[in-house]
Amino acid sequence: MWDSFYAIFKISLKAIFANKMRAALTSLGIVIGVSAVITMLAVGSGAQKSVTDSVARFGTNILFLRQPWDLDESISSPKDVTMDDVYAIRQVDGVAAAAPYITTSFDVKYSNTSVALSVLATDPDIFLTYDWPIESGREFTQREVDDYAQVIVLGASAAQTIFSDVDPLNKTVVLDNIPFKVVGVVKKTGQSGMGFDMDEGALIPYTTGKVKMNAGWNSSDRRALDRVVIKVADFNTIENTKVDIQNTVRNTHRIHPLGKDDFQLDDFASFIEQAKTMGKTMSLLLGAIGAVSLIVGGIGVMNIMLVSVTERTREIGIRMAIGATSWDIRMQFLVESVTLSCIGGLIGIVLGVIITMVVAANSSIPAELSISAVLLSVGFSAATGIFFGFYPAYKASKLTPIDALRYE
Amino acid sequence: MALIDTRDLYKIYTLGDVEVKALNGVSVSIEKGEFVAVMGPSGSGKSTFMNILGCLDKPTHGKYILDGIDVTATDLSQLAGVRNRKIGFVFQGFNLIKRTTAIENVELPMIYNHTPAHLRHEKAMEALKAVGLESRAQHLPNQLSGGQQQRVAIARSLVCDAPIIFADEPTGNLDTKMSIEVMELFTRLNKEMGKTIILITHEPDIAEYASRLIKFKDGEKISDEVK
Ligand SMILES: Nc1ncnc2c1ncn2[C@@H]1O[C@H](COP(=O)(O)OP(=O)(O)OP(=O)(O)O)[C@@H](O)[C@H]1O
Ligand SMILES: [Mg+2]
Repeated sequence: MWDSFYAIFKISLKAIFANKMRAALTSLGIVIGVSAVITMLAVGSGAQKSVTDSVARFGTNILFLRQPWDLDESISSPKDVTMDDVYAIRQVDGVAAAAPYITTSFDVKYSNTSVALSVLATDPDIFLTYDWPIESGREFTQREVDDYAQVIVLGASAAQTIFSDVDPLNKTVVLDNIPFKVVGVVKKTGQSGMGFDMDEGALIPYTTGKVKMNAGWNSSDRRALDRVVIKVADFNTIENTKVDIQNTVRNTHRIHPLGKDDFQLDDFASFIEQAKTMGKTMSLLLGAIGAVSLIVGGIGVMNIMLVSVTERTREIGIRMAIGATSWDIRMQFLVESVTLSCIGGLIGIVLGVIITMVVAANSSIPAELSISAVLLSVGFSAATGIFFGFYPAYKASKLTPIDALRYE
Repeated sequence: MALIDTRDLYKIYTLGDVEVKALNGVSVSIEKGEFVAVMGPSGSGKSTFMNILGCLDKPTHGKYILDGIDVTATDLSQLAGVRNRKIGFVFQGFNLIKRTTAIENVELPMIYNHTPAHLRHEKAMEALKAVGLESRAQHLPNQLSGGQQQRVAIARSLVCDAPIIFADEPTGNLDTKMSIEVMELFTRLNKEMGKTIILITHEPDIAEYASRLIKFKDGEKISDEVK
């Protein structure tokens, strides 16, 4: 029995090798399909992971206060989020820190270099909310905030780009024609894609930013902030703290007890959920792209198998005449198509893994190989062979011996 | 009981509204060990008859009993085992499988009856010896002469010890010398191994080798004589 199966396997291999070029081109479809599936799934799950990672690094006990983007029309005179809210929130039980948050993009100039950075205008509380340890120099102080001081703290990559080998500390950079003294550089956080990218950014006192540079001015109120970043002391009581903050802000905004909130308090739980669904959708989409190319590859296999059956109709007739059963014939062609697909699949896996590693090493696209993606594509390519090989094999096995022998 | 027994075989092809009666009520009975030649004009139904006897095709009506099995009552796809064990075929066009060595061609029927690999090789070699081609075992069909190819095909028909050999114009593509070689081989198989041989031919010289001659015309058997 095994002897015979092995013999049939050899027959199939022989048929494949008799047409090397054709087999190679047919397998190429599967190679591309499988490597696409692996790469796409790796990129998808890598993106998903990097999103959740960066959210996790933010900490789940961060809250954002901001004006809703789609403000309810029934609110007649919505108030901006301002420093008044920051001060009030700092008094709320369970709040560890609250910092103003205004982002703007500026060209930062130093001698001949000019780099566009996203600049966050804030105050020292920002260092209590985000995990942005200082690498060299220092944070700017409350005093400097009060004095509208022209000081700046740079992100690690930003400092590298602007100064390369020069020590940035105490150097002067120019933003919007205003000179700023570099007082500190933040350690590389390696976090990107979500929230403020500190590595590529810079921090300045919000007072300086607002008054001297019109930073983030899209509101009629000169005191308006983009948002307030709040850190809650204990994640377990975050819901209570949220309610307290909500009441406090309603108070500073003088909202009638029956009136609606003119602000919004986001926590990261919903962000994480959103990020996860986004990541999943992305994975699915990328996987689908890979799957489509695999299906196209499979159709190529089917096409070639149909050609192969037609070409070898006489041979099928001879085999039937000397005692091959329908099952034997079906097996022969199925083994052929599965072998074609699996050869393509194996090469595709190797190629997919290489592509993924190259992508992961040489670009900012995160890619994470998973065993399950690899196994999935192995199974998929074998299944492709069986699925797309089945019809041609069935067709071959259904011939009557005389019709097959007489075929011209 | 006869090895081959047909009663009123009809094979009717309908092409559009034209009916072709390729076989028109043929009844033949052949005993074990006979050497039968079938002759007749082109289109008289000889091949059609043999293909039905060889379980490659089904009659439209009629009954065919092969070694006690009612073949007409069985589906063709169920008859693979019968073709494998009871029947050997030799065709005018040799019908060897391309790009496959002589010995592999001879081994093929044994793959389909699950003979273990070492036995397969041994028996294939024996069969090649019987047709005098053991030195050509590793040759591909296109590296063999027509007569040699036909002998490989004969070896293939022998290898499963099938009692019957059907040969449809086996010398049709061969010159006289090769034809004689092949016919002597058939005679030996008939005499020494007791094979039942049914052979179609157009040439009276070839038919001379047989011990019984059946003549066809227009799908009917017109004569049947034992020498
Ligand atoms: N598949 C088919 N469809 C229609 N008609 C067929 C088919 N096969 C054979 N025939 C017809 O049946 C008749 C008998 O054919 P067959 O091949 O048996 O002749 P033959 O005696 O073997 O002739 P030859 O000596 O030329 O080989 C012929 O008239 C042929 O046209
Ligand atoms: Mg004929």
